Amino acid sequence: MAAVAQQTSGRVSAREVAVWDPLVRLIHWSLALTILLNGTFIEEESKTHEWIGYIALGLVGLRLVWALIGPKHARFSAFPPSPARAVNHLRAMLSGDKTIHLSHNPLGALMVYNIWASVIAIGITGYMMTTITFFGVDWVEEAHEVIFGWLLFSVALHVAGVAFDTWRSGVNLVRAMINGRKTIPYGREVE
Amino acid sequence: MKLRIWPAKTKEKRATVLAGLILLQAICALFFIGDVIEDFREDGHLDNPHLLLESVAAIALVGGVIFLMIELRGLLSRVSDMQIGLDIAQGHLADIIETFFDEWGLTSAERDVAIMILKGLDNDSIAQVRKTAAGTVRAQATSIYSKSGTDGRAQFISLLIEEFLADNQHLGSAEAALNAKTTNAASPDASGETT
Repeated sequence: MAAVAQQTSGRVSAREVAVWDPLVRLIHWSLALTILLNGTFIEEESKTHEWIGYIALGLVGLRLVWALIGPKHARFSAFPPSPARAVNHLRAMLSGDKTIHLSHNPLGALMVYNIWASVIAIGITGYMMTTITFFGVDWVEEAHEVIFGWLLFSVALHVAGVAFDTWRSGVNLVRAMINGRKTIPYGREVE
Repeated sequence: MKLRIWPAKTKEKRATVLAGLILLQAICALFFIGDVIEDFREDGHLDNPHLLLESVAAIALVGGVIFLMIELRGLLSRVSDMQIGLDIAQGHLADIIETFFDEWGLTSAERDVAIMILKGLDNDSIAQVRKTAAGTVRAQATSIYSKSGTDGRAQFISLLIEEFLADNQHLGSAEAALNAKTTNAASPDASGETT
């Protein structure tokens, strides 16, 4: 689709490309909400805390299924977990390359997998705490808290990365996650 | 792209609603799965009818979620196909306009002004956008009208409209000719009857 749009609307100064489908956006903001709620407002060791945790797990699970059967930009193939690509991307960025990635950029992709893995790990350790076998076991509780700390750090890094890439590429990424469209400045290469 | 053809818009709304349903239904599925696991942990066997029913509900919900996801993907790909068609049409429109401009031999400044005239801007606004005097724009507009063989703004704009309606008009005249033929064919009969 990108190729066609580029070919035919060459005279337009900027063009919009639909990137994030509604399900991706809903899952993204719902997951952000669950992390915010469980991290701040909800009492730990409450039933609500448990349920919100399971919902977060479910959201990640749903997203993983969507990454298998969903549309192009939502799929694993659009953002493979590849440190090599991330390093290349970093190098290209430093040398002033301004290519725009329609899906996640390679660095962002790593962050996506990191956040999903963290949420899953927090969910699993959280569930373990409710079982008789692991109830009150120190390392489980500690893991739950340490990984949550890591998740908060990751979220901060994620927000910083979004701000940085918005500045670097000129594509407003926050808006893209709200209305689903990336506005590509004229004459910019797209990947 | 301010202008969007309306079916695309309603389809986008439907996609959003569908995504919301998927999310809600997935949470419901989660609740049932959680409940099944909880009951199983307390009870230890799967053969009681309550648990069986809950398991069936959970499986049905999960199946429903997957089905809705596949539906959503189909809907999204239809929306994207429509957008491609729209982009191509817009590209063609730009090409046609460009062909006209080439034919008339407009300068690049005149092309800019001509496009803004087509978009409905008046001379003062064009002067503001291009940061030139209103007199310059007026002179450029006059030149555009004379090169295109039109006598003013309205006729200039209608040139393009005519181009797009050309096919329909052709169809209209053919229909008129056909009508004329049938009335001609009918009238001898009618005259035959009267005589």
